[in-house]
Amino acid sequence: MKSLTIRNLSKTYFDLYAATHVTAVQDVSLEVGAGEFVSIVGPSGCGKSTILNMIAGFIPLTGGEILVGGKPVNGPGRDRGVVFQSFALFPWRTVLENVAFGPKMRGIGKAERDRIAHEYLALAKLTEAAERYPNELSGGMQQRVGVMRALANEPDVLLMDEPFASVDAQTRMTLQEELTRIWQAKRPTVIFITHDVAEAVFLADRVVALSKGRVLEEIAVDLPRPRSWDALHEDARFKALTSRVLQLVRSA
Amino acid sequence: MTPLLKIWSAYVRLTARWPSIASIVPFIPLFAAWWIVTALEIFPRVFLPGPGEVWQSFVSLTWKGILPEYLQDSIVRLAVGAAWGIALGIPLGIVIGMSSRAHAALWPLLLFFQAIGDIAWLPILVIWFGYGLVTMTAVIVYTVIFPVVLNTVLGVRSIPVNMHRAALSLGASRARVLWEVVLPGALPNIVTGLRNGLGYGWRALIAAEIIVGTSGIGFLMFDARRAGSVVEILLGMIILGILWYMVDSWILAPIERATGQRWGLVGR
Amino acid sequence: MRPGRLGGRIWQQRAMRLRQYLSSALLFLLPFAVLLALWAALIPWFNVNPRLFPTLGSVVAAGIESIRDGTLPAHIGASLLRVFVGTVLALAAAIPLGVLMGVSPAVSAFLTPLFRFFSVLAGIAWIPIASLWFGYGFGAITFVIFNAVFFIVTYNTLLGVSTIPLHVRNAAASLGAGRTAMLTEVLLPGALPNIVTGIRTGLGFAWRGLIAAEMIATNVGLGYMLFVARDFYRTEVIVLGMIVIGVLWLLLDRLLLAPLERRTIERWGMVQRA
Repeated sequence: MKSLTIRNLSKTYFDLYAATHVTAVQDVSLEVGAGEFVSIVGPSGCGKSTILNMIAGFIPLTGGEILVGGKPVNGPGRDRGVVFQSFALFPWRTVLENVAFGPKMRGIGKAERDRIAHEYLALAKLTEAAERYPNELSGGMQQRVGVMRALANEPDVLLMDEPFASVDAQTRMTLQEELTRIWQAKRPTVIFITHDVAEAVFLADRVVALSKGRVLEEIAVDLPRPRSWDALHEDARFKALTSRVLQLVRSA
Repeated sequence: MTPLLKIWSAYVRLTARWPSIASIVPFIPLFAAWWIVTALEIFPRVFLPGPGEVWQSFVSLTWKGILPEYLQDSIVRLAVGAAWGIALGIPLGIVIGMSSRAHAALWPLLLFFQAIGDIAWLPILVIWFGYGLVTMTAVIVYTVIFPVVLNTVLGVRSIPVNMHRAALSLGASRARVLWEVVLPGALPNIVTGLRNGLGYGWRALIAAEIIVGTSGIGFLMFDARRAGSVVEILLGMIILGILWYMVDSWILAPIERATGQRWGLVGR
Repeated sequence: MRPGRLGGRIWQQRAMRLRQYLSSALLFLLPFAVLLALWAALIPWFNVNPRLFPTLGSVVAAGIESIRDGTLPAHIGASLLRVFVGTVLALAAAIPLGVLMGVSPAVSAFLTPLFRFFSVLAGIAWIPIASLWFGYGFGAITFVIFNAVFFIVTYNTLLGVSTIPLHVRNAAASLGAGRTAMLTEVLLPGALPNIVTGIRTGLGFAWRGLIAAEMIATNVGLGYMLFVARDFYRTEVIVLGMIVIGVLWLLLDRLLLAPLERRTIERWGMVQRA
């Protein structure tokens, strides 16, 4: 696991329809230590997905720099794994083959990569689904496969783009708890994008409030781990943190 | 802001207001390429004439009245044949769709006769009816009927049985169930069948005119071939393409979208 | 469980499946049997002029004779060879081109109207110009077939590739897929349902175009066989030819293409069209 450094990051693009330049992200800087879990929260259109796409290398940046483990990033790569809101599983491959995809790209042989895939599926309690196709699974299960697929490739940084937004509320809570459990086992460096303030505080070590392409404030989350919804529902500290972040996000 | 971005941006806004432009602009480079290739005479003029010659031919044939007459002949044949095909095909499709016995008895035969294809019937149709309108119409009816019947059957059979039951339990007679449930329910598929049928019918018409025709666009192309003149062949192909493209994009596709999507029955 | 018992269970299942298959095949063939019986009975009864419609017996006799003297196999062989060559060439050109164009959303959006236009013209409309460019015979007909398959498969491949969600492509990139892997693991599998649909439609047009082209531009092949028989009022040869054409296409489409299409679409749970 490596650290992630973002310095003076900005993104300007040309809107063809309006025929003007639009600034999506302005002068964002962030230091994420190795193994740290950071949430980025903000309203829709605040630029958080743009930041994630730039870290992932899917879109080019127009200013500043992004360093993983001290080295600048250049396009997508296996050092930055991504979990997508739409799951983005390969529908023509079984669950096992999806999870084994990353190792396959690294040239690992079939027996070995299937073993790795099974290991990660077991971690998420998905072993029975191994031979199914994605369209046979529920949304929640598909996303768990998505998370395991990214983790099985052992990226230096894990980027999660509103991964639980397409899932119903109850499944979401289960997935959040499962994510913290898996994170504690494997300790990847995580950037988690969401518009759900409670989710951000629940999962992270640190929450970054974003609005209109700028960082408003970073708030440390000093709640003990492991965390569960039953315990934190009525917790005073959790509520205080959540309202602080909510206030920030709504005021901007 | 570079000038390129400015132009591109203007194009995006233009096509947003008038989407039809987006379906015409891509042809400009093609047209230009045609012009250049023929101007440079990369292929002998005899094999590939240029836009100028084709235009001249268009003007002259129109002025002589030949082109409008041929066009009319072709369209009338297609319309008559398609009308018969639809008038026969939809009821047949409904009957087969609703009766499982009719389905078991006729479905295999339908598949087989569709497989023979319209063109293969031309020789025997010519023996029976000669080279006239009847042969042409018969070929088109034959071609149109299969997609119409098959799609109608599909549409009828895909109506959930509970819808039939709901209507019956609300007091509808069998006839009213047909009119109020089966027809609207199968309509999106029927329209798809019409669209496919017309597409195949158009091609069948051209083939029939090429092989046994005495007038029409297909005949125009075949006659030109006999005279060794590529110009009219190109003209015929362009007219065919434009006509069918227009009919399909501006009439048929919107109808299909309007019925299917509006009722949420066909997801695109 | 003893091995004998397990083996017995498997054989039982297989036998049941075979029985189901046979009974549905029989059910499929029954209407044809009825039709043949009607044919055999009605023609003699109504004393139909054999120059208008042949008797079942004469068609069978013509069939046997043309197999024996080799003309039927020659015609079938010529037709099938043209279809095969034309299709293989068309696929070799269309699929790479479609993939190349489909990868860029801007390019595919721009070129789609062009290919739709040419798909409309595919096949039969090219017969006159093909026979002027390539003369009579193999070249012209194979060109018509190539044409019919090429435009439709390119268009469908383009469509298939361009509708692969961007996130799926990004996911593959973030999992370390290089350009080759992206092609073989994402683009081709993702577009495969559309490609197979395109092949099926294209072959349909190609088959029709083949018969039509063979009627006017050559001297061997099923279309030619039909057309020439018309000159001599040999209706039994015409009907024989029609049956052969129908059976060939039925076999090709129903036993090969339709199941292939269904399996790719179903397996990937992607609903394409009605």
